[in-house]
Amino acid sequence: MTDRQATLECRAVTKTYVSTDPPAEVLRGIDLTVREGEFIAVMGASGSGKSTLLYNISGMDRPSGGQVLLEGSELTGLSDDEMSRLRLTRMGFVFQQAHFLGNLTVRDNVLLPALKAAPRDKPGAIARVEALLERFGIAHVAGHGITQVSGGQLQRASLCRALASEPAIVFADEPTGALNSSMSAEVMDALTQVHRDGSTLVMVTHDPSCAARADRVVYLRDGLLVDSAELGTWTADTAAQREDRLIGWLRQQGF
Amino acid sequence: MNIRSSVYLRYVANDLRANKTVTTALLLVVTLSAFLMGTGALVMERTLGSVDQLFDEAKPPHFLQMHSGEYDVAALEEFAAGQPGIESWFIEDMLGFDGAAIGWERPSTGESGDFADSLIDNLFVTQNTEFDYLVEESGAIPRPAPGEIYVPVGYQQRYELRVGDELVVGTDAGTEHYVVQGFVRDGQMASSLSPAIRFLISEPDFAALRQAGGGASEIIVEYRMTDLALVGDLQRAYDADAAVPKNGPTVTYALARVFNAFSDGLAAMALMLVSLLLIAIALLSVRFVIRGTLEDEVREIGTMKAIGLPSHEISRLYLLRYGAMTVIGCLIGAGAAIAAAHLLTRSVQVNFAPAGFGALSALVLLAAVGLVAGIVLLTCWRVLRSVKKVEVVNALVHGSLLGERQSARRAKRQARRLQRTSVAGRFGTLNSRLAVADLRAESRQWLLIPVVYFLATVLITLPMSLLSTFQDPGFVTHMGSPEADVRADVQFADDVDAAGADLLAAMTEDHRLTDVQAYANVLYETTGVDGPETLRIAVGDHSAGSAEFLDGRSPGEQEIALSALNADKLGVATGDELTVRNQDGELTLTVSGIYQDITSGGYTAKMPGRVTAGAASYVIFANTTDGTDPEAVASEYNATFPDATMWPMQEYLEQLLSSLTDAFRSAAVLSLIFGVAVALLITCLFLRWRLSRDRPVLGALSAIGFSLRELAGQVQGKTVVTATAGIGLGVVFAATAGEWFVGSLIATLPFGLVSLTLLPNPWIAYLAYPLLLLATSYVGAVLLSRSLRRANTSDWLRS
Repeated sequence: MTDRQATLECRAVTKTYVSTDPPAEVLRGIDLTVREGEFIAVMGASGSGKSTLLYNISGMDRPSGGQVLLEGSELTGLSDDEMSRLRLTRMGFVFQQAHFLGNLTVRDNVLLPALKAAPRDKPGAIARVEALLERFGIAHVAGHGITQVSGGQLQRASLCRALASEPAIVFADEPTGALNSSMSAEVMDALTQVHRDGSTLVMVTHDPSCAARADRVVYLRDGLLVDSAELGTWTADTAAQREDRLIGWLRQQGF
Repeated sequence: MNIRSSVYLRYVANDLRANKTVTTALLLVVTLSAFLMGTGALVMERTLGSVDQLFDEAKPPHFLQMHSGEYDVAALEEFAAGQPGIESWFIEDMLGFDGAAIGWERPSTGESGDFADSLIDNLFVTQNTEFDYLVEESGAIPRPAPGEIYVPVGYQQRYELRVGDELVVGTDAGTEHYVVQGFVRDGQMASSLSPAIRFLISEPDFAALRQAGGGASEIIVEYRMTDLALVGDLQRAYDADAAVPKNGPTVTYALARVFNAFSDGLAAMALMLVSLLLIAIALLSVRFVIRGTLEDEVREIGTMKAIGLPSHEISRLYLLRYGAMTVIGCLIGAGAAIAAAHLLTRSVQVNFAPAGFGALSALVLLAAVGLVAGIVLLTCWRVLRSVKKVEVVNALVHGSLLGERQSARRAKRQARRLQRTSVAGRFGTLNSRLAVADLRAESRQWLLIPVVYFLATVLITLPMSLLSTFQDPGFVTHMGSPEADVRADVQFADDVDAAGADLLAAMTEDHRLTDVQAYANVLYETTGVDGPETLRIAVGDHSAGSAEFLDGRSPGEQEIALSALNADKLGVATGDELTVRNQDGELTLTVSGIYQDITSGGYTAKMPGRVTAGAASYVIFANTTDGTDPEAVASEYNATFPDATMWPMQEYLEQLLSSLTDAFRSAAVLSLIFGVAVALLITCLFLRWRLSRDRPVLGALSAIGFSLRELAGQVQGKTVVTATAGIGLGVVFAATAGEWFVGSLIATLPFGLVSLTLLPNPWIAYLAYPLLLLATSYVGAVLLSRSLRRANTSDWLRS
C-alpha cells in the first residue's frame, strides 16, 4: 500500500472557530496521507472533529493552519473559483442527506456535475451517467423525482453524482447515517464496488460495520488523530471477523 | 399579568430580537403604510379644520355674484326684499389693478419689486361691516387708517413682504402710496386656485383710488342666509331675475369650502392612494413571512401540538408576534404622520387659520392607522389558520406543514413539472437552466418578487404620469384653448372693446406673431334645467378645433359648442338646440359638440363670429415665429399696452396649475422614494429567507463544483428576471388600466375635466423608472448574494 502515490496529504492541519468564547480548537494538528486507491474510514466520538476534518481536507472549508495537498498541489491558497473547479473535476462528495435539487429528476441531479465538467461533450456526459445509473441499479428510477425513490436509492444516486465527473478522490460524510440497515448495506456495497474499481475514498462514519469495509481506519479524539488500524482488503467472507476486530480496537480507543 | 401572558410576551420579544432583519423589514413596510395613510387622513382633516376655523372668523357669504360693469342697485334691493331667507346682504365695491401696476418698496433697505408676474386679479376693498371680513392672523378684524394697507397672506409669502413695507399703486393720476400695516386672510379668496386676491384699505383711500382712475370697477353682491339650505333657492331666484347684475361668476358657501379644502387636499388624496398600494405590498410581505416562518418552525409547532397546546393557542402566539410588530409599526407611522401633516399643512395654516390638533384630529389619525393595522392583522389571522391543519407526525418526523394528501398532491404536481424540465436542454448555460428550473418549481414563492415590482412600478409611474400630464404643453387643449405661444387678456380697462381692438391690431401687424386668434367673451342668457342661466360665450374663429372635443366638433355657423359642465347644467347634448339671448336679441343655435375645459370653473361655451363691442373681456392667442422669444414679446406688449396682460403660454400654464402640479409633484416624489425603498426592502427580505432555506442545496452545488460566484449569479439572474416580468406588466398596466383609473378619478373632481387622457413622459415612465426599479432589484440581489461569497459552504451542509 505504501508504494502507491499519495492522492491527498494533510500536514499539521488545524481548525479554530473564533466565533465562540473561548475560541474552539476543533482540529489540533492533523497529519494524514491518503494513497491512490485507498479507502480510509475516519472514526471518533461525537464532537471529535471527524466531519470538520473531512470538510477541511476537501476544500469545502479552509483550515486555520497547516497544508492540504491534492495530487501534490497545495489547496489552501486557491481562490474560490479554482477550488470549485478542483471539486468539480477531481473530487466527489456523498453526504448524510443527499441534498439533491428537488426540482430535478434523479438523472438530472446526477448529470449536473458531468455536464458542468464537460459542457461541450453533452453526449459523453449523458452516456457516462447512464452507465453509472445502470451499474448501481437505479436506472429504472432515474426519471423519478427525488421524493419518489427510497433513501438507499437516493444515496446510490448520490454516489453516482460523486463519480459522474470521474474524480481522483471521493469524500463521504456519514453516507449511511440516515438509512436503515438494509439500505445501509446497499450503499456500502456500492461504495465497496467503487473502491474495488480503483477509486480513492475517505469516509466519515460512526458505524463500525461500515468502517470495517475500509482498508484503514483512523481514530480522532478531541481534534487529534490518535491512532490508526490497517484492516486490509475487505471480502464478504471475512466481514464479521473484521468487524469484531475493529470493535475490539475501537474499545481500546475508548469508543 | 398572569404567568402565561408573561411567558408569551417574553417569547414574542425574544423572537422579534432573534429575527432582526425580517422584523425590521416588515416593520418598515407597515410603518410606511401607516405613515402615508395617517398623513393623508390628517392633512385632509386639518385642512378642513383650518378652512372651517377661517370661515368661523371671516363669515364668508353664503352666496355671491361677481359683476363688472354697470348695474342697477334698485333691482338688487327689490330682489332682496322678495327673498325672506336673506339674513343680510350688501354690495362690495372693488377696484381691480393689474399686477404690473402695483409695486412694493422697503425704505429700510431700498429693496423693491412688483406683482407683474402674478396671474391673479388684485382687488382693492374696504373692510365689510356685517360679514365677509378680511381677518388678521390673530383672528382680529382690522380697520386700516388712511395710508395703511393690509396685504393678503398669500402675497406676504410669495413676495416676502413685511410690516412697514410700502405699496405703490399706479393710477391714471399718478401713484398712490400705502404702508403695509399687516396681513389678512380671506375666507372667500384664500384657495390657491382662486383667480383673485383682496387688499384692504381705508374708506377715504378707496374713494381717492377710485377718483385717481386706472382701476377696473367690480362689485360682489353678497348674501348671508338664515339657513344654509336656502342657498339653492336663492341662487335659482337670482338667475331667474333678469334685472340683477350677472357679469361674473357666482360662488356658494359650500363650493367655496370644497374649493378651499380641495386644492390642498389633493396631495392628501394622492398620499392615501399611494398608501393603498403600499398596504398591498405590506400584506403580501406579511403573508410571505408568516408562511416562511411556519415552514421554518414546523417542528416547534409539532412539538407544541404534541405537548398538548391547542391550535388556537399556537396561532395566538404567532398572532401576538406579528400583532406586536404591526402595532409598533402603526404607532411609529402615526407619530411620523403627525409631524409630516404639520409640515404639509403649513401653507394651509398660513392661508386659512391655524387649527389645533384636537380630539377629532386624533380620532381621524386613529381611524386611518387603525384601518392599516386591522387589514394587516386580518391577513395574519387568515394565514395563521393553516396552523390548525398541521399534523403532529408530519411536522415532527418530516418537517412538513402538509398532511398526507397535500404532500401526495404536491409530489404529483412536482412530478408533472419534472417531465418538462431538463438540465441537458439546448438553450442557455447550465446555470441559467438551473435557475429556470428553480423558478418553475418554486414559482409560488418567487411570485412575490414580480407582484411587488408590479405594484412598485404602478406606484411610482402613475403619480409621475399625472404630473407630466399637467405639465405637458398639450394639456392646454383640456382648457378649451388652442395651443399657442402667447396669450393676451384684456379685462381691466375702462373701455375693454377699444383696448381689445388696439391690441388685436398691433398683434396682427406684428411680423413676429402668426396665427393671431381673438376671442370676445360675451354674456348671454339661456334657460337651463333649473331655470334661467347666464352663459359666457367665447366668440371668435374656432375652426382650428383647438379644444379636445368629447363629442361632436367645433361650432360652425348658427352653432355653439359647450363645455361638459355647461352641457350638463343646461341639459343639452350634441345636436340639440339652444336658445341664447342678450340685449341684441335672441339666437337659436345647434350644439355642435361638447368639450372639456377647466377654466372659468369649467363653465364655458364657444360660438363663431366676430364681436367688437359689448364684450366682458377679450383673449387673444398667437404663435411666435422661429427664433422669437415669447417672453420678450410678452414683456414688450405689457409695457406698451398697460390695459392688457400678455403671457408666454408655458408660464401661464405653470402658474395657473401650480397648486395642482405642486401637489402631484409631492406625491410623485414621495411615491418614487417609497416605491424604490419598499421594492429594495422586500427584495432583501425575500432573498434572505430564500437563501437561508436553500442553504443545503447551495452547499451541495458548491460541493459538486459550482463556484460561489456562479451561485450568486443564479440568485441575481432569478431576481432580475422575475422583477423584469413584474416591471413589464406594471408598465403595461400603468399605461392602460392605471391611466384609465387615475384619469377617471381626476374626472370625478370638480375641475371640469370629464375625461383625462394621461400624457406620461415616455422617457421617464417607460424607460427611466423601469430601469431604476430593475437596478433596485439588481442591487438587492447583489447585496444579499454577497453574503454567499463570504459564507462557509460546509456550514450550509451541516445546517
